[in-house]
Amino acid sequence: MDKLILVTRPRYDDGTEYLSAYAGEVLKKTEKDFLVKDFEGKDAIKENVEKYLKRKNPKLLFLNGHGNEEKIYGNKDEIIFSLENVDLIRDKIIYARACLSANILGREAVRKSSGCFIGYIFPFSFWIDDKRSTTPLKDKIARMFLNPSNEIISELLKGHSAKEADEKSREMMISNMRRLLSMEQKNEPGATGMLQILWGNYEGQVVLGDENALFN
Amino acid sequence: MTNENEKTSEDVKELVIQRLGVMPSNYKLSIGSKGTFTKNQLINHVIADDKIGNQVVKMQMNFIKALTTGKLIETLNKNG
Repeated sequence: MDKLILVTRPRYDDGTEYLSAYAGEVLKKTEKDFLVKDFEGKDAIKENVEKYLKRKNPKLLFLNGHGNEEKIYGNKDEIIFSLENVDLIRDKIIYARACLSANILGREAVRKSSGCFIGYIFPFSFWIDDKRSTTPLKDKIARMFLNPSNEIISELLKGHSAKEADEKSREMMISNMRRLLSMEQKNEPGATGMLQILWGNYEGQVVLGDENALFN
Repeated sequence: MTNENEKTSEDVKELVIQRLGVMPSNYKLSIGSKGTFTKNQLINHVIADDKIGNQVVKMQMNFIKALTTGKLIETLNKNG
């Protein structure tokens, strides 16, 4: 039961298409060792997710999509998690790649709980190269932002703690920011704009609750 | 005082617009549920002083603060 992972990854606009594609990249590595329930696209709706949570009680949740302080959304901005059903995500390890949701929903999820919530207190943002928007995994610009966030799940799956996963992700962001800084010094167009956004993700990423929580 | 604040606000907008202006035209910024925007769309939002424009200004100011306080460099110097 401990090796179950629940994933939500709606895709109905540029932002969610990218998040879904990069989530898919991590999931490919999990197929052999973990049982993944992947609510993708139109399947990423509250009814499906709640039913699975109640029936199977997965320990790790990887949530991709839009969000705000109190909510995480699924397909076409349908609410999946809010303060109304936050009880369902207590005592779990959650990585929410969604804007702002660590501010209130995340804090509530770990209150009186042994769980952990990794997420963002700022909007999770990234630049994309429009020439690559139909093939997100070939977009080297977006990869600078999305690889470090994928690292969180990869590290959790390797058996590292939530704190270690966060640290590895930060190391990758620092490495990418150094690259961008060096590009900026060579006056490469766009480097400062990208650095600015990656800094926002770095500063906005938080680990709430039990930092020593382990999945594997 | 009010005039000074308004002037500062216009200066900040101008700075943000200048920085956005140098982004390659094929780049788009995804800002969560607010959407994905080209640099010209972002500039128009900043000029319009709307929610998206204000978000872009906020992100820029946060970065400038990290630069001027030395927090960014301190972070980048971590682990060598």
